[in-house]
Amino acid sequence: MRDVLETLERWAADGTPVAIATVVGTERSAPRDPGAVLAVSAGGDVAGSVTGGCVEPAVYGEARDVLAGGAPRLKTYGIADDEAFEVGLPCGGTVHIFVDRLDPELVAPIAGAVREGRPIALEIKITGQDAGAKRLVGPGEDGPAGELLARGETGIVETPEGQVFVSSFAPRPNMYVFGAVDHAAAVATIGRYLGYRVTVCDARAKFVTRERFPDVDELVVEWPDRFLRSAPVDERTVICVLTHDHKFDVPALKVALETPAGYIGAMGARRTNEERAERLRAEGVSEEDIARIHAPIGLKIGSRTPEEVAIAVAAQIVQVLRSPKKEEVLAQ
Amino acid sequence: MAAGNMGGRVNSTDVIVEAGRLAAEGKPYVLATVVNVVRPASARRGDRALVLPDGRVSGWIGGACSEPAVVREALRALADGQTRVAQMEGECASEGIVEVLIEPILPAPLLVIVGESPAARTLGELARTVGWRVRDDGVEGADAVVVATMGHGDEDLLAAALGSGAGYIGLVASAKRAGSVLAELRTRGLDEEAVLRIRAPAGLDLGPSSQEEIAVAILAELVAWRHTRREGPLAAPSEAVDPVCGMTVAVGPGTEQTVHEGVTVAFCSAHCRARFEAEPERYSGLRAP
Repeated sequence: MRDVLETLERWAADGTPVAIATVVGTERSAPRDPGAVLAVSAGGDVAGSVTGGCVEPAVYGEARDVLAGGAPRLKTYGIADDEAFEVGLPCGGTVHIFVDRLDPELVAPIAGAVREGRPIALEIKITGQDAGAKRLVGPGEDGPAGELLARGETGIVETPEGQVFVSSFAPRPNMYVFGAVDHAAAVATIGRYLGYRVTVCDARAKFVTRERFPDVDELVVEWPDRFLRSAPVDERTVICVLTHDHKFDVPALKVALETPAGYIGAMGARRTNEERAERLRAEGVSEEDIARIHAPIGLKIGSRTPEEVAIAVAAQIVQVLRSPKKEEVLAQ
Repeated sequence: MAAGNMGGRVNSTDVIVEAGRLAAEGKPYVLATVVNVVRPASARRGDRALVLPDGRVSGWIGGACSEPAVVREALRALADGQTRVAQMEGECASEGIVEVLIEPILPAPLLVIVGESPAARTLGELARTVGWRVRDDGVEGADAVVVATMGHGDEDLLAAALGSGAGYIGLVASAKRAGSVLAELRTRGLDEEAVLRIRAPAGLDLGPSSQEEIAVAILAELVAWRHTRREGPLAAPSEAVDPVCGMTVAVGPGTEQTVHEGVTVAFCSAHCRARFEAEPERYSGLRAP
């Protein structure tokens, strides 16, 4: 819904009635993820998309019907459904789309929170008596919606009264990149693609410049360990230690291992890694904690250039955060 | 000027300008730079030249004495993609030692992405950051083809990709749909070996993923594929021994050659060719196979 918030704000300001169609679930492959929205105004204007074109015409019809006074509805489009051929969803996947009116007063609080980087979620009842009921969920709220928001996840929650769809607008998770090296710029770029808020931190001011890092969210001149002591870290946080200089790496890793960060990776050839592990042991870090460090950083895909290393790092981050128990997949 | 030269004296700066032009056009070449000289030698440190895949030379790299050997090493470098330092010693009686850095500059691999989907768009953008060339139509000349149409004619596109010579062919699809697409290709009569060349679903298996994550998984697989390919980017050069001086020379359009008793003989220079043509019977025992 992020992509259409500005349009929704404008429509809300004009007092235009709006229907939104929200992807609330997908099975197998689908072009857009849960939370994607197609918004239709009373004037017939359209913003966003739910499948990238496959079922938009059918969904548009449902939205117009809702705007004309029709009840909220949960529609399923998929190859298994006869309707799929009719509407032309060829993706082999199934999408569940909830269509209903959007109360204009919900738009401003969501847009405001997203702008200011505060977590907020929109909860929509999608089955049962009061399907279409909506409320906003703030951070720290107990219950399943609050838990989803804390993890930054969007999805369906089963409740005794029926299914509830929770669309989380969590601030982007943090990626901290230590070491203002060439690899850092490449890792930062791909980190932004994956939706991270990227900070590059190095104690050496002359390396930490906008010219070298044009597309990172924040540049920090500070010793990485000192920075990390005061930076927010949660299970979604990614920490990449790229300096391969023990005097920066060892203190940074020691602090990183005291946090709940979801991914910690460190660059360096095998000997560097062994020496670093030895120094961490000398600092009293346990074997279990040392095993949390992905080193050498990145999946082994034969990377040579910094940009290729960044791809290997990104692939490893996805793998670790998506399927923490799985062994590393090696390229064939 | 030596046999393979494109003609006209090309200075060191022109060589760099020409190198940039070739790189921009996506054409392969070798940049050869003299990095060390033990006198006497006709080359000086910093002399440089370009060597093209057909053996033509642009620039100064020591003239007739070291040039044929540089061309030979350059074409080997184009074939295996490895940068090397070639030491030219005793190639000519008058020469000392000339060390030449041989850098093959190969065009970035070409990725063709067919189809409109968020994963396809992100893949295209990311592949460019890794230095690949990216196109969204026509599989001709592609090193890798990724089909991401979300179902609009995947079978036809994959069949075309299989016939294109692309080394990597991937299909963006769920495991289930990938299975049905491959089954359809089999019923169309494609042999099993061809069907097995298709990576379906494309990309390393990183777990359930968003569109951006699927793009990362595919690009990671492409990087791995690029670096584990066994064959070199260009065919190995054909080489022959100059029957006059005994030097191994690369044979190309620019090579000095003559036909003797129905057999083509190659030389390092016009000088050697003239000597051969004056007394072919004296050198024909050394004739290259």
